[in-house]
Amino acid sequence: MVLAISIDSPFTHKVWQEGELSKMVPGGLPYPMLSDTGGRVGELYDVYDEANGVDIRGRFLIDPDGILQAMEVLAPAVGRNVAEMIRQIKACRFVRETGEATPAGWEPGKKSLKPGAELVGKVCDIWSPDMAF
Amino acid sequence: MAVKVGKPAPDFETNAYIDGEITKVKLSDYKGQWVMLYFYPGDFTFV
Repeated sequence: MVLAISIDSPFTHKVWQEGELSKMVPGGLPYPMLSDTGGRVGELYDVYDEANGVDIRGRFLIDPDGILQAMEVLAPAVGRNVAEMIRQIKACRFVRETGEATPAGWEPGKKSLKPGAELVGKVCDIWSPDMAF
Repeated sequence: MAVKVGKPAPDFETNAYIDGEITKVKLSDYKGQWVMLYFYPGDFTFV
């Protein structure tokens, strides 16, 4: 489930969805747009910019138990990398399902690692830096 | 309360716009699913 959140009211979300977003995405965004009145939720997640009264670009990946698994916060003028976010979701799901670990640059189908005493000092035998790209 | 990877994500309840309706949403309503929560500075900006 994707949840978008800004300090805008549900009415502003409606106008944006109907006036602009629905022109970019057929049918509009298929997920809830939340209103963070007064930056209350942004404060909980440490992304509320009091000086400007807005939430900055924070992104939080939460697992089915409600535990935070990944987060990223960018300066307001810098846009996100959606492909990297999707990769992180795949990696987090893989780790949860298998109990294994995903080294740098892991994508589905690439080598994963089984954490444990046997792996200590042996990562270089099964993984090399070029696999990160 | 600090936000940390490996710790519970803070729960909250807000008003939300979903499919033309205005309703309430609670983060804990989505327990059992993966959730990607993203903040952005404002409507009519890029995300």
